Amino acid sequence: MQIVRVPQDGIPVTGARDVARDPAMGKNFTIKTDVVVVGSGAGGSIVAYQMAKAGRSVLVLESGRYWPSSEFTEHLGDTLEKAYRDQAGQLNTTADVLFPEAAVVGGGTVIGACVMQKPTDSVLNGWARDLGLKDLSASKMAPRFGQVGDWLGVHINEAHEINATAHKVIQGCEKMGFSWKPVARNVKKCALTGHCLAGCPSDRKMSALVTHLPWATAYGARVFSDTEVSHVRMRGGRATGLEAVIRDPETGTVVSNLRVDAEVVVLAAGAIQTPLILQRSQVPDRSGQIGANLAVQPFVQVLARFPDPVYGFRGALVGVLVDEFVDSDGYNFWSGLAEPEQLMIQGEQKAGKEHIEFMKSYKNMAALNAFSLDEGNGSVAWEGGLYDGRKVIKWNPSRREFDNITRTTALAARIFFSAGADRVWLPTFERLHADSVFELDQKLANVDYGIKGLYTYRMNSFSPHGTCRMGVDAYQSVVSPHGELHDVSGLYVADASMIPTPISAPPQWTTQALAHLVAERIQERASSHFL
Amino acid sequence: MSDDLDTPAFLAGLEPLSRRSLLRTTALAGLALTTGCARLFGRKEAPEALAYTNLTEDEVRVVAKLTAAILPTEQYGLPSSLNEVPTVKNVDKLAGRMSGQTRELLSLGLWVIEYRPMASFRFSRFSKLDNQEAYEYVVALQEGNFVERGLISAAKTLITVNYWRDSRTWEGLDYWGPVTEKWGVRRLGNAPLPPV
Repeated sequence: MQIVRVPQDGIPVTGARDVARDPAMGKNFTIKTDVVVVGSGAGGSIVAYQMAKAGRSVLVLESGRYWPSSEFTEHLGDTLEKAYRDQAGQLNTTADVLFPEAAVVGGGTVIGACVMQKPTDSVLNGWARDLGLKDLSASKMAPRFGQVGDWLGVHINEAHEINATAHKVIQGCEKMGFSWKPVARNVKKCALTGHCLAGCPSDRKMSALVTHLPWATAYGARVFSDTEVSHVRMRGGRATGLEAVIRDPETGTVVSNLRVDAEVVVLAAGAIQTPLILQRSQVPDRSGQIGANLAVQPFVQVLARFPDPVYGFRGALVGVLVDEFVDSDGYNFWSGLAEPEQLMIQGEQKAGKEHIEFMKSYKNMAALNAFSLDEGNGSVAWEGGLYDGRKVIKWNPSRREFDNITRTTALAARIFFSAGADRVWLPTFERLHADSVFELDQKLANVDYGIKGLYTYRMNSFSPHGTCRMGVDAYQSVVSPHGELHDVSGLYVADASMIPTPISAPPQWTTQALAHLVAERIQERASSHFL
Repeated sequence: MSDDLDTPAFLAGLEPLSRRSLLRTTALAGLALTTGCARLFGRKEAPEALAYTNLTEDEVRVVAKLTAAILPTEQYGLPSSLNEVPTVKNVDKLAGRMSGQTRELLSLGLWVIEYRPMASFRFSRFSKLDNQEAYEYVVALQEGNFVERGLISAAKTLITVNYWRDSRTWEGLDYWGPVTEKWGVRRLGNAPLPPV
């Protein structure tokens, strides 16, 4: 009988420095494994766990560093520096939309806000009915969502998890007659520190760092950090492994070149990186859809100031969701005010005296984070050579998407004015605020769409998806209903890039449920994949 | 016999120098010569810029002027953004870890900010404006066209994040900062394996 023991704390991870110290590995080395999983976040960790548990030898490769939770500092500045790709400076081509993306062992689950939301049944049934993805219907997906929810301790916020920011939102919603509800989160015994975005040092956030990754290693999976995959290797229409470069995370120096020989390759590097790897690998792209259909779920943060201190940063970061417009318009509003550094990234900070006054009112602030549904017309592309090329992320709002962002901003501001705010800062590149609801529309009317909406709203995309969409038709989609590339046997995708159409729900739960499906399908096809 | 009598002719005029001061003078002359040669051969960093390993001398000047213009913190009872909190040094450190693409954008952005005032009525580099003028220039860019707005917003984000990330600034905001250790919150460690 096999004894399976989960490490009590931390994960056994091989990093660049371990490789440099080990003479057996050298400058070039090869690892043979049944399954190699690229990416250790929401999707990758689930596939790694399920495959390792099924008895497969599993290797997980993560491009970011390993930063154990015991070393988290609760300083968002440190997290931005250590756990985000390009130190949270990943931008679209016009440099006005930010794509904050994790680059750390555990991926986005480490730095996310813990919000867990499923797509509505109508979305899931639409995928089954309109796209022929029968396994994605609400009834067939329900057990998968349930399984993931059980693993991660997903629960509806209790009264003590609704902080002062959330109470301001509730107050505003009650006056406006808008529906709201407590948020579902993947947290166990939340310590109410408010530092979710900086990583949870007491391991209460059920991230991959404390769940699927240690569980996978308990079943024998190996995890490498600091390992950037350059391309997938293929032969005769079949994936045979990949090549990667291991770099010191501090200096960027190449420590070693890694070749992996594998029966199955699973890409779970996220909706930006996965299509880039596929493009660098020059995989057959009959549909021309690899990297296309980028949905960004544009997000703006509306800040309000109240006459009395709110201390809105205290307590659980995200308390409530305004769900009044989810079905009708695809708008989601989440309460949540994070660390002071976050204000710099998401709003116009002013300068001089005005900036200092703005910052000094931090304790009087509450924030509502407005997400709207976009049309999925962005793209991600790798331009140039394999090693010296660059990524190009294209997304700018259409007129309709711009109008949606304006509307979500107006709604969020109205909620806050109804709750008694005496000022609302608008999330624009211009210095704009409104001191009453009566001047709000006039101020917003000044935000002109101009040329492609450039430098209008300060938009972020925490939830890109759709760049390797799933479908039954090889001429319309990138991966099959099993998550396997239509034209490459043994090459799977298990992250948000396979979500078939834009969704308004934060994609973590959906990604994990889809990764669960992919792992199951790989196992079902074991006889053709594994010798 | 006095030392003066032993002074050779070619040292005439240097008689008042003691041995120690002669050594000091030689050392200073040598330093001046070396600095001159270094400048001649392209090492142009000002002494204060030598502390920065990633930003160029010109970039350091622009970032420092932006910091002074955007964050006149001392006037409001907050730690100095230039002398107490190492804002410019933090930006320098950040620049060292940027991807090639982002670093190029940063260089270009700072260059435009530095030379943009030359094309306007100010006829001066940004870093040579006094702090009040620099502040007015920042505000003017913020109210300018969309490119100027984007540029100055990015620069402000860079500067302000690297100031407010310092825990010494938080007291002035009544922000509680890290609390897990202060409260003695117990670490839970890894979750147990789910039951089979």
